[in-house]
Formats: sequence, C-alpha cells, structure tokens
Amino acid sequence: MSVVLALVTAACAGDTTEDDDEATVIRVFGNYRGADADAFRAELEVFSQATGIETDYVGTAAFAARIQDRIRDGDPPDVALFPQPAILAEMARSGFLVPLDGDLAASVEAGYPDWAIDRGTVDGDLYGVWYRLSLKSLVWYPPEVFAAQGYAVPTTWDELEGLTDRMKEDGFTRWCLGMEAFAATGWVGTDWIEDLVLRLHGPDVYDAWTSGEIPFTDPRIRAAFELFSEVALEPGEVAGGRRGILSVPALDAIDPMFTEPPGCLLSRQGSFQAAELPEDVTFGPDGDVDVFVLPPMEGAAAPLLASGEIAAAFADSEEVRALMAFLAGPRSGDLWAARGGYNSPQVAFDRASYDGELERRVDELVRSAEVVRFDGADLMPPSVGTGTFWSGMVDLVAGAPLDGVLIQIQSGYDQTTP
Amino acid sequence: MDTTDTEGASPPSRGLHEGRPALSPSGSLTRRLFQPRVWHEDERNAVSDELFFEGPEWRPFLKRFGTLIVLSTTIAALGLIANSAAVVIGAMLVAPLMTPILAVAAALVHGQAKRLGVSVAVLLGGTLGAIATGWVISRIAPGTLTASELTPELLARTAPSLLDLGVAIAAGLAGGYVLTHPRAGSSLPGVAIAVALVPPLATVGISLELGATSAAGGALLLFTTNLVAIVLSAMTVMLASGFVPSDTRIMVKGRLRLGFAMALTATVGVAVPLTLHTVDVVRDQGFTRDVIATIREWDPAGRIVQLEADVGDTRASVEVVVASSRAPVPAWRLAELLAHDRDVPVDVAVEYRLEQRDEATAD
Repeated sequence: MSVVLALVTAACAGDTTEDDDEATVIRVFGNYRGADADAFRAELEVFSQATGIETDYVGTAAFAARIQDRIRDGDPPDVALFPQPAILAEMARSGFLVPLDGDLAASVEAGYPDWAIDRGTVDGDLYGVWYRLSLKSLVWYPPEVFAAQGYAVPTTWDELEGLTDRMKEDGFTRWCLGMEAFAATGWVGTDWIEDLVLRLHGPDVYDAWTSGEIPFTDPRIRAAFELFSEVALEPGEVAGGRRGILSVPALDAIDPMFTEPPGCLLSRQGSFQAAELPEDVTFGPDGDVDVFVLPPMEGAAAPLLASGEIAAAFADSEEVRALMAFLAGPRSGDLWAARGGYNSPQVAFDRASYDGELERRVDELVRSAEVVRFDGADLMPPSVGTGTFWSGMVDLVAGAPLDGVLIQIQSGYDQTTP
Repeated sequence: MDTTDTEGASPPSRGLHEGRPALSPSGSLTRRLFQPRVWHEDERNAVSDELFFEGPEWRPFLKRFGTLIVLSTTIAALGLIANSAAVVIGAMLVAPLMTPILAVAAALVHGQAKRLGVSVAVLLGGTLGAIATGWVISRIAPGTLTASELTPELLARTAPSLLDLGVAIAAGLAGGYVLTHPRAGSSLPGVAIAVALVPPLATVGISLELGATSAAGGALLLFTTNLVAIVLSAMTVMLASGFVPSDTRIMVKGRLRLGFAMALTATVGVAVPLTLHTVDVVRDQGFTRDVIATIREWDPAGRIVQLEADVGDTRASVEVVVASSRAPVPAWRLAELLAHDRDVPVDVAVEYRLEQRDEATAD
C-alpha cells in the first residue's frame, strides 16, 4: 500500500510541475453521460467563464470500478462526483481526498440539510458536497390508462396491492423492470430492496443494515427480498419476465408502458428516468406519464430513498478549491435545473430555477419528507454495495436460491480491501 | 444560351459546326456525340412517338405504364426486402419511368405546355403508384424487417451523395443521346439501370410503411436527384443535337428559358442537401480514420471488429466492438483521448469480446 501511495504522490507531483507551464485544466470525473453530461458541461462552462479556469469532464458508466482503477494506477482526477458515498469515505480514509477548508466547510454547513452534509462527512471531517439529488422512491405510471380503467393512485401499501390485483384481473402485466446497466447491472434490484427495507422496518433498521450491523441473512432483510421476489419474479408480473429483467437496460424498461396496449403499467424508478423517456412522451398529470411515491406500509408519510453525486477533490490547489466552491455555491446547478433533470439538496436553492413539473414535485417531496435516506448500496463498502449486492440481485433474478444469494452478498464484507 | 439561340436562327440543315466533317475522327468526343445533325420531320415524329401517346394510343399506353409500374415496383420492393441486387436490377429492366421523364424534357424544350402537363401528370401518377406499391408490398411481405434494421440494399438508397447526382447527369445525357440518335441502338434499359428510378421509390414506400421517415426522405431525395438531373441533361442534349427545330426554338424562347431555369433551379435545389450530406460523409470518414488510430493507441492489444463513428456540429459518437485476449481498457480513456483537441464532446460505447485460443492434440 505504501508503495502505491508513494507512486501516487510521485505521479501527482509530476503532473503539477507539467501543468504549471501551461494553463491549468481541472480534470473532473463522474458518471454523467448523454444529456446529463451536456447539462453538467454547461454548468462547468459557467465556472470557466467566470474564473478563466478550464475544466475537462470525463464521464463513465462504471464509475465505482473506474475511480478505483484510477487510484490504483496513480492517475486520480482533480475532482470526482461520487455516486457512492462509501467509496468517497474509503478514499478519504486512505488519504486520497482533500478535506474542505474553513470558509467552504462553513458555507456548506449553513446551506445544506444535515442529511446531505452527513454524506460528505467522513470521521468528522467534511470532504464532499452533495451536488445533485435524485429521488428514487417514485413509481412511474400512465395517467390516461389509469383514468380509462378507473384506477386510483395508491397512497398506502394496501391500496397498491389492491391496484396491482385489479391490474392482473384486467389482464395487464403490472411492472416494468430492467436491471441491465453495463458494469453496474443489478442496481435497480438493490433500489427495490432498499425501498422495501425502509417501508417494512423503518429508518433505524435501515441505518443498521446499511452500516453493516444487521446482516443480509437477518430475517427482516430476507423478508424484503421475499417481497421483491413476489413482485418481480413470479411469471407474468414483469414485462419480459426474468430474461427481460436481466437484459433490458434499466432506463429503457419503461418503454413498453407507452405501447398500445401498454406492456406494463408501473415502473419503480428514480427521478433521473425523466431524461431517458422515449421521445414524444410527456410528463405530468395530463401527460403520458406521471409519478407517485412508492406508498408507505405504516403511517401516512412515505420514507424517501434518495441518491446523488457528491463532489470531492483529489488535488489541493487554488483552482480546485474555486471549482469546489462553485459546485457548493447557491447558484450551482441552476442552469441544469432549468433544463430539467436536476434537483439540488441545498436549503437555499432558488426553487424558481426548476422549470419542470417533476423537479418541482421532487423538491416539495424532499422538503416535506420526515425520512430521507441515501441509497443503501452506495453506503455499503464497495465490495458489497457495488459488488456482491449488485451481483446477488442478478443471481436472484437468474434463479439462484434466496438463502445462498443472501450468504453470498454478505460475504462481500469479508473482502473489504480497496 | 444566347449563342445557341443566335446560331439556331440558321436553317436546321446548317448546324453549329457547319463546314466541318460531321463525324471526323479527329473531332472531340463531345463534338462527335452532340453535334447537331440534319433532322427530317419523320425522324422527329418517330422520336416524339416514343415519348408522347396521344389519341387512340393513350389508353393502351396508360394501361401498359400502370401495369409495368406496379410490376417493376413489386419486383424492386421484394428484391430490396430480400436484399438481392440481382432482383432489384431485374426490376429496373421493366421500369417504365424513363419514358415520361424524357417526355417532360422533350415537352420543355419544345415549349409544349399541354404535353408537359400530361407528362408531368403521368410521372406524378407513376411516382405515387410506385410508392404505394412499395408500401403495400412491405405491409404484406413476410419477414422481420424493422425501421432500425433495413437491408443493405435499402440503406444504399437512403443516403444519396454528389456521386449520385453525377450518375444521374450522365444518365440523363445518355438518355437524351439515345433518344435523339435512334441508330445508336435501343439502350434505354442500361440508362434506366444506371439511375435506378423505381428502386428508390420502392424504398420510399417500404420505409414509410416501417415508419422510417428519415430513410424515406433520403430515398425520395435520391429519386428527385435522378429526376431533375435527367430532365436537365436530357434537355441539354436535345437542344444541342438539333432535335428541336430552330423556328420552334425562336418561337418558344421565353418558355424554353423558363423551363431551363426551372430544371436548373431544381438541380441546384437537390445539390444543396446532397453537398451537405457529402460533406458529412467526408467528415465522418476523416473522423473514422482518427478514431481507428486513437483506438490503436488506446488499446494496442485490441482488434477492431466493428466500428461506427459519427461526428456532428455539437457532438461525436463512437461505437466500437473490440476483440482482445487481454483485460479491457476502460472506455473513458478512449473518450478522453478522442475529446483531446476536439471542440465537441465525444460519446464512446465499447464492447469487448474475449478472444481466447486454445490448441490440443491427443493420441
């Protein structure tokens, strides 16, 4: 490890001397691609025009694996946007990340809710700024079909079960579900489990589970997997069946909802689905697709599962500090919010920036929620959260027995070496 | 144009190059091909008979034309769907569209408004009939053709370039030449093959039925290119060869100019999208060369199995399948290398195929 560290230090030092000769370019690494990448680049362009500091953004579909490769290869970016706080924490503890200094830390602490600050904090020090927030506990549905069939949007778990029973009687396939996502295949399944654990057992059990205190083999966690199996793995429940779940790209799974007749009626998927809807599909109560919150099993308020990207710095320089301050600043993300597909976790974020119906709804939901929790897989050590938990979901869908899958997922905790 | 008109004032028996041997071996090819010659009224009528069907000839002509349109498009559509170049060429042999197109050109150079109207109507009817036939064949033909997976024969007709315009101009010259030089033998089929009028229309019909509107647009552009280029170049040959009597030329000078202007405008009109498209193709080819070189630098152990590279004004995209016996190199490194020194973001999708060789022997 010390050898690796020494190499990294040497490589960094080399880079800095080279960069001194020419204009500094901040290398930014993240998982935004396609429309998201365009929106993020537009944000970075605002930064560059204001400061004269150039940035180079590179986005990858397999961030979790690639950022670890880059550290191993001694080629860290200057700034990375981590979808997995657990990887951020691991890198902070290994000394690769630069803590945010006084002024910047103070402004983050003043501008963000505690649950957002916590995700960038490692052992009491602030390293990361939660840049974009996505809401995961959403169910996408076609309002027109609901109106035609006389279906009501469910607000409790019982109502959801009643609704899906009626859908089955009416001859519909209920759920749209696809898990394929290159090297990240499986995350859609882990989202389901997390939402179910939150609803079945509440935030305390959820926190104990995501921090590793409650194992996957615990009967309470097993219950969430059983419920998921009922929803997704019984024949006829999901468009395309098990093969479809494994082979359909995560954000394409919703497409059959818009065929005539619809191939599925419900899709539990994050707010980021909005950027990947089929062309011509409109959003809203009067549009082709709308959302409701996956209902709670107890009480009236649904717990919310959120995710997002947390920016942290690998390099310590004036320029990088300026970029981190920009990403944490009150106007950060406002252009993207106007384009659609962006929600800010900041308390003081100007809500007028949200141009879209979905962004406004997500904003209201998050502000009024009693319980907001970060995606659990992203909080677990990478060997579990982006390792055995992802692959375990694939195994389960492929037909592996549940007990074996749970033991296998839990075994990821024994391999926690970066 | 003015020169032609002035010279044309002389009697038809005295052509542009009077005094020189009509077919001197030393004369340039152009002169030999398009030299005005002495036309007898009978010859003109014979040529006109080939193009215009009036009086009692009208109904049989229409029947024959309609039948051949439906049949040739049917053959073409089936050939396109089956991806058989031979069948598509077969369709061209029976395609009747060259006749009304040359008729349009002949009516234009003679300033005959009525004949022009009738020929345009026949042409339009044939065009719509061919598109409709293609649509019907696509509807009833068995198979799994989809808008996103057209056959290569279909795709070849959806992206016309300046080369196609060149082919069409040459084919129009040939059509006009064959028509005005009957003794050169009846090689109209060859001309029709070169420009392929019916297959693009069949492609339009098939693409529309499949919902591939941009492919349909491309095929329609190819047809229009052929159409206007043939009309323009056939008009040129007809005028240059003395097919049009000089007194007619003087009489209809205004109409003739108008007709020429229209044909020329239409040709320029199609040349613009063709040029833009050709520029795109050339740019994509240059980008593809860059990409191949960059991929070799990015993963020297990888072998490119399949590559699709597009570059536009706002972004570039690369889809590549790489075969390698070694561990995959991350796609983002390729994206970064490609984005370097380029103004637009580059989207990269890499698919790795593990290549493993094993040998054994037993006794």
